[in-house]
Amino acid sequence: MAGYKGSNINPKKFERGQIKLIIAVLPLALFMVLPIVFIVCHAFKPMEELFAFPPRFLVTRPTLDNFRGLMKASQTSGIPLSRYAFNSVMVTLIDVVLSIILSTSAGFALSKMRFKGKNMLMEINNAALMFVPVAVMIPRYLVINTLGLTNNPLAHVLPLVAMPVSLFLVKQFIDQIPDALIDAAYIDGATDFTVYRKIIFPLVKPAIATSAILAFQQVWTNVESSNLYMNEDGLRTLAFYMNTLTNANNTVAGQGIAAAATLIMFVPNLVMFIFCQKSIMNTMAHSGIK
Amino acid sequence: MKEQNKNKVRRKKGSLKQKEALMGYLFILPWLIGVLIFVLRPLVQSFGFALSKVKMTPKGRISTFIGLQNFTQILQEDETFPTELGAYLIKTIIAVPVIVVFALIIALLLNSKIKGKGVFRLIFFLPVIIASGPVMTQLVDQGAGSIPSINTSAISSMISFLPGILEDAIMSVFENIVMYLWYSGVQILIFLAAVQKIDTSLYEAAKMDGGSTWECFWKITLPTIKPMILLNAVYTVVFLSNNEQNTIITTIKDAMFGTTGSKGYGYASAMAWLYALVVTLLVAAVAAFLVMKKDVYQKQAKKVRKAQKKEERLLKKLERRGEKYEQQKLKKAAR
Repeated sequence: MAGYKGSNINPKKFERGQIKLIIAVLPLALFMVLPIVFIVCHAFKPMEELFAFPPRFLVTRPTLDNFRGLMKASQTSGIPLSRYAFNSVMVTLIDVVLSIILSTSAGFALSKMRFKGKNMLMEINNAALMFVPVAVMIPRYLVINTLGLTNNPLAHVLPLVAMPVSLFLVKQFIDQIPDALIDAAYIDGATDFTVYRKIIFPLVKPAIATSAILAFQQVWTNVESSNLYMNEDGLRTLAFYMNTLTNANNTVAGQGIAAAATLIMFVPNLVMFIFCQKSIMNTMAHSGIK
Repeated sequence: MKEQNKNKVRRKKGSLKQKEALMGYLFILPWLIGVLIFVLRPLVQSFGFALSKVKMTPKGRISTFIGLQNFTQILQEDETFPTELGAYLIKTIIAVPVIVVFALIIALLLNSKIKGKGVFRLIFFLPVIIASGPVMTQLVDQGAGSIPSINTSAISSMISFLPGILEDAIMSVFENIVMYLWYSGVQILIFLAAVQKIDTSLYEAAKMDGGSTWECFWKITLPTIKPMILLNAVYTVVFLSNNEQNTIITTIKDAMFGTTGSKGYGYASAMAWLYALVVTLLVAAVAAFLVMKKDVYQKQAKKVRKAQKKEERLLKKLERRGEKYEQQKLKKAAR
């Protein structure tokens, strides 16, 4: 039960006792894979299969037509695809790093430090959590406008940096860290910053990885900022571009291009996820919490 | 700015508490700035819009203050919004336990001895990265959200004794059961992290005393991961409410930007605020439900503390009375 011995938590050999577990897990796992299978298959479907009725899940005759269509469509537009991709990567990178730093440091302060107004700040965060993002779209635009950030790449990043969800997640995890661990560090002469860097950060890595994935997703698929705050095409992101491609050709031909674009947008998600997953697994074995 | 100066002056006095508070503010400052400018300010402004009639004209927006008229109009005249809100409420109340329990079961399964644990973990978390976004919409359109082999009509006849709105909600849970599985990736991860942190020696001690696995789960695993259950429940509620699949979001969006269904920006803002209020109440209810169950030790400690306080109060009362009595005595003596 629930044991871990160093980093080899997996049993080395297949035992008969595992069969019942695998029987329980496998069908559920199959359901979980469905969406990914669907995305991949959809992108390779030829035209007549995309519109087949009843819709079929798997592809029978895969083609690269959709990708060719996507290439053709991107060649006709004035700005190269690489420009959009570069914008997206930069914006996403900055946002993920910033939001992790912000949420962990704020979570540390809210959970383990004593100062006035602490509880009120947490309440504010929780209230912001409940709110529908659509409702603040126009006020947010007004803020960006007053700050003079239209047509500034910063406008992609700043509105999404303070993520209430990730602060909530991280704070709950930091609450689980025993005070004794932190007090011991203080007695040994650690400053607040050292405690943050050497104790808090490594111990809440699962939460950080989760919130990194959430932040990544939020920025990567964000169309709103390109739509509202950017007037120049060269400053817009890949998500926006893919969206216009599928919207502009929203006829029969557009469907295939949209499927291909979805797959392309999805691949970085997968890479990011596998990258984070590793860090989650490693922390489990070493964490000093008992 | 003012706050900071105040702290600086106080810090010179050398109080450790003040220094710690200053560090606290320092750590939270970057986040605070972000929230103030990009979350809180827009929220306040949208509340302002909700209280007024907003007109978008080529010259700019004109908003006139009309008080709570928008809210009363929604509650009294709107045909669809209140019913939609009710349906959402019941649907979420049913869906949250389903998701949380499912996530817990999967986390426990993944935590047991099983070959290829890493692969399974990967698979169960994968749907998270597509749970939002256009892919989901397409999938639901294709009917991939339900298990086709489940005979829905049989279930619906089985639960037909329930009132209509409840029956609808339960049916929708069955119809979207696969989608709920997809939504539970983050929850599985959180549970898994919590379950793996439980000390193995606890289980060993329990086994020595003859506890079965079933008892171990109820007496060790569940109490230890209780904070995470609360976290997951709240996360689930928030996720379900702000999800793109949620019809209320579409309704609000249509009211805000739509060409035909548009009812003015102020009206839509009021809708959003009303919705946020309902979500907040729901989260509060979930939190209250999960926090309420304290264990026996805590209950007893509370009882003792209460008794102590009562005694103290009694003592004070007696003391006061005694003082009064003595004062009266003195007065009498003075006369």
